[in-house]
Amino acid sequence: MALPKRIIKETERLMAEPVPGISAVPHEDNLRYFDVKIHGPSQSPYEGGVFKLELFLPDDYPMTPPKIRFLTKIYHPNIDKLGRICLDVLKSNWSPALQIRTILLSIQALLGAPNPDDPLANDVAQDWKTDEKAAIQTARDWTSKYAAPE
Amino acid sequence: MNLLESVGFSLIDSEELSYDELLASSRFMSGDEARVTSQDIVGLDAHEDARTLVRLIQCSKCSLPFRIPITLPCGHSHCRDCLPQPHHRENISYPNTPDRRHGVVCPVQTCQREHPVGECDVDVTLSKIMEAITDVTAEYQPASEDTPMLLEEIKHYPRADSVLPEKEEDSMETPEPRSQVLNGGRLAATLRFAQMGFLDFEAEVGYQTLSKEGDDYRPLGERILTQFRESVSKELDCQVCYNLMYDPVTTPCGHTFCRKCLVRVLDHSSHCPICRRTLPIPPSLDRQPSNQRLKSLLVGLCPDLVAARAEAVEQEERGTIGELDVPLFVCTLGFPSMPTFLHIFEPRYRLMIRRALEGNRTFGMLMYNRAGQPQGDLGNTHFLQYGTMLRILNVQMLPDGRSLIECIGTTRFKVLRWSQLDGYIVGSVERIEDVSLAEEERIEAEETSVAAPALNAPPTPDNISIDPSVLVNRLSTRRLLIHGVEFIEKMRANSAPWLHQRILDAYGQPPDDPALFPYWFACVLPIADEEKYLLLSTTSVRERLKIVVNWIRRIEGQRWYAGSSCTVL
Ligand SMILES: [Zn+2]
Ligand SMILES: [Zn+2]
Ligand SMILES: [Zn+2]
Ligand SMILES: [Zn+2]
Repeated sequence: MALPKRIIKETERLMAEPVPGISAVPHEDNLRYFDVKIHGPSQSPYEGGVFKLELFLPDDYPMTPPKIRFLTKIYHPNIDKLGRICLDVLKSNWSPALQIRTILLSIQALLGAPNPDDPLANDVAQDWKTDEKAAIQTARDWTSKYAAPE
Repeated sequence: MNLLESVGFSLIDSEELSYDELLASSRFMSGDEARVTSQDIVGLDAHEDARTLVRLIQCSKCSLPFRIPITLPCGHSHCRDCLPQPHHRENISYPNTPDRRHGVVCPVQTCQREHPVGECDVDVTLSKIMEAITDVTAEYQPASEDTPMLLEEIKHYPRADSVLPEKEEDSMETPEPRSQVLNGGRLAATLRFAQMGFLDFEAEVGYQTLSKEGDDYRPLGERILTQFRESVSKELDCQVCYNLMYDPVTTPCGHTFCRKCLVRVLDHSSHCPICRRTLPIPPSLDRQPSNQRLKSLLVGLCPDLVAARAEAVEQEERGTIGELDVPLFVCTLGFPSMPTFLHIFEPRYRLMIRRALEGNRTFGMLMYNRAGQPQGDLGNTHFLQYGTMLRILNVQMLPDGRSLIECIGTTRFKVLRWSQLDGYIVGSVERIEDVSLAEEERIEAEETSVAAPALNAPPTPDNISIDPSVLVNRLSTRRLLIHGVEFIEKMRANSAPWLHQRILDAYGQPPDDPALFPYWFACVLPIADEEKYLLLSTTSVRERLKIVVNWIRRIEGQRWYAGSSCTVL
């Protein structure tokens, strides 16, 4: 099946005007599959880390959202052990007017503002609520352990 | 020099031309047809078609270039200030949301319908186009100095059956045609002429250059048009497919998409992709007109791109139409938003369910044609032609291969063609949907406006026996709903056996949405499925609620609920 114009244009724009701190590169043999890297936002426990994600555009994209998950281990109340992300715009609040760029920006923002009240990783969210300081330290430790830049 | 001789290409040669034709003339588009074939498309020329180009962005009411343009549900555009004062709408009880209580009467003579204020939002795309045009004009101001040209308005005397009646009122005495010396070549000068309020929407323009060398500034006009084309086409990109819009449809919230893109969006959600407002239009966009101005602008400015898009769309459609691609299960009756529980044991249906699970998890549910009634174009089939698409929510596989599945109804459909595949039925189906909210309101107003106010009181056994069907027809949609809700409350108070907790556990409490209430009602009411089936082919909320009230009327007439037995009617 030919690649829709929309995916071609989005890819071109991602290459031509990359978002600071974010890169998304399609696989050569599958242009719907992207290797993503997100730099942890400054002043967050993820600062200094580079997080790898995989992003896949399903057949009915943009009617359905991109499928995306973290490959790098991360300690975050809205990201579970399998790297799945709890983000409304990736589920019920998806709209075809959103795009890869806006989704990656939302994920970057989620790293900067963890939301333990809407958790996916329940135990992490619990830690976050009972002892935020310790949880932030764990997130920092994990960042230097698993997300060190290559 | 005779001014008339230098008149640019005229669109009003024929006496028969209507308002729409003024904008979408056969010069570049054939009438109202949504489909454009490549030979219909000829772009407009900066010099020869300067007048036509300016008309594309002129309001037909005030004749000025659009100021805060609004595209109405009928596809016509006006300045916001040029719409008539909103009035209170009568005889409408559903949905009765604040934004729909007032309406404006459409100023376009071919329409004249009442448009709810909530469906008359600012046209975002057209507004941006107007901004882009202003910017380009400002940019070319310096280059346009000292390129004088005399423009003269050429009026057509109003015809007896003028298509623009709003003009008739103030044209008791025909004002003198106006003229002005302007710079910038024909296109920029004509635009300025219109901005000054010197150019009637219907009028033509005569041009006479005042250059000593007889220069008509043609290259300047072409440069400006190229710039227009570039800036305007940026605004004409669809936010769903990232292509130039093809057959643009504007939503009541003022956002525009390709018709095909919006239909696909509405298959997944009933919200606008940009502002997320709920869209009160049928998901197939059936009878939803295109945005006439944008359509004409697209064809006039980017004919090659539109032709290329037309061809691509045609190719896409080839091969996808009429495929027998929907698995159909002839078994029971399902309704939108209502659960259906199935026990799958036959191998052929196990296969069907397995395939559905691998795909989009949906299949069509149909009822048996027990009475052997002919099914429209299908003839005599063993199933009834209307059904409901079910989406599989949960599957419980039993060790022996049987399975229990829980489904939820999504949309209604009608079978168009069918065949067999590995023992089960596959078909090509057409979605059955409700009319737009505006049409829903129109039907209610029409049916209830003749009713005396007293008839909106709840029917009692006495007055209902007079002429029940007429009475039900005259009840407001809201009253019909209340009737159904009150009946359920009464039955609960009477501990009707069919409202047992077990039933409520399966189907939940009555839904708040009046559009869904009848489906819930049918699920719990112990009457024959053949009767409930009537809900599947309805096209309005009101029609469904009337069916519900007629059931209640019959049940109450028979005093059926008084007994304790669970008689099936
Ligand atoms: Zn106006
Ligand atoms: Zn109208
Ligand atoms: Zn589109
Ligand atoms: Zn919108």
